Amino acid sequence: MVNCIFFVARELDLEVIVGRFYASLYRFALSLTKSEAEAGDLTQQTFFILAQRSHQIRDISKVKCWLFTTLRREFLRIVRTQTNHPHVEFRPEIHDSPSISADALRALDAKAVIDALDRIEPTYRTAVELFYLSELSYKEIAETLDIPIGTVMSRLSRGKEQLKAILASAIAENSDKIIPLKRDEEATS
Amino acid sequence: MKKPRPEITNQTAKFLLNAYRPNGADAQDPVFRDALEQAARDPELGAWFKEQRGFDSMIAEKLSEFEPPATLRSAILAGIENRPPTRYFSIRPLLALAAVIALSAVILVPMYHRRNSGRQLVDQYRKANLSMLAAVPAPQLDLQTASFSHTQEYLAEMRAPSIPSPPPALLGLPTAGCKTLWWNGHILSLTCFRLPSGELLHVFVISRDAFDSMDIGAGFQEINGWHVKFELLNGMLLMFVSRASMAEIKQYI
Repeated sequence: MVNCIFFVARELDLEVIVGRFYASLYRFALSLTKSEAEAGDLTQQTFFILAQRSHQIRDISKVKCWLFTTLRREFLRIVRTQTNHPHVEFRPEIHDSPSISADALRALDAKAVIDALDRIEPTYRTAVELFYLSELSYKEIAETLDIPIGTVMSRLSRGKEQLKAILASAIAENSDKIIPLKRDEEATS
Repeated sequence: MKKPRPEITNQTAKFLLNAYRPNGADAQDPVFRDALEQAARDPELGAWFKEQRGFDSMIAEKLSEFEPPATLRSAILAGIENRPPTRYFSIRPLLALAAVIALSAVILVPMYHRRNSGRQLVDQYRKANLSMLAAVPAPQLDLQTASFSHTQEYLAEMRAPSIPSPPPALLGLPTAGCKTLWWNGHILSLTCFRLPSGELLHVFVISRDAFDSMDIGAGFQEINGWHVKFELLNGMLLMFVSRASMAEIKQYI
């Protein structure tokens, strides 16, 4: 049982809350759905649920956590109702966490990063996505996913290790495709 | 007298610092204090942490490049404004009943909650340990040795709790090895003994302080083929787990 929701209290300023969280919720939804349209729908649906249940939010500091929990639940509910969703499991062989240069990382586009997130093993993926996309603390991630704090730390550790390996492999693949320009002296000789 | 805080290994510090947010929002969180101090002292860890923060910042920055559609915010607000009105009930007729319930709750809930939360936390702990044991591929032990004393020396070195006053019969068994783990921000140890039948007897040890309140029950429980027993000893919570027969386990604990 997630602890984010409590009963009764004061009026929430929904406009302020929407303004503050809709972009990060949208990004989290995008990482889950991989579709801009579905991410937009999911984000709207989440705020709609908040508006309907705003009288149930007691602790305003928990709103962020509540929103991410609700969005993820809605996503899982939708996935469960869809029958033919192909599931491709990717299990990279990871032995050590590779070092990636800042330049190589900077050269990657955002799409490559979100694709890499999607290739992290499902067990670890959501914790890593919440870490990067929501700026939730490890305690809030534990609350959102309803798992112990130690498990969050373990999933972050393993998940980030996988993310690095996947990105390193993507960078290496890309560098193989680059055809180096001939230097002037080679070209003229 | 306040005990000096034990130094942590770089491995443990890295494990913790992976959860440290790149924007520095966790700087005041005491969970990271030892690891941050260690990173400031140790150049190798310091370099790793700098690189890790750079990596985290870069990933967060890349992901923030995804801008929501320009119309999303207004669409959300329009959806909220057009929602069906929330139905409110008249509270007045229910006030008397609510008062009675509230009064009962004031008396009963703290008693129930303390007992229940103690049980829930122990349940979570048990589940986490059993999941770890059942994981495929099987988790690796940090140290593989047949010597019980070697396992306890290793655990002491790792600042992990060792088995307090082990039963003499248990000491007669060879060990398979040991491992340190983290649960809910607390370090715990696992020592595995080899029973004559070939089955293992796993002993998890964690400080009692990891639990606000505790309801560990009495005797053995059978959960998914595992025999599980909790015991509180010298401020430590011991969890014995094995797939061996009860008759065999009872000879040793």
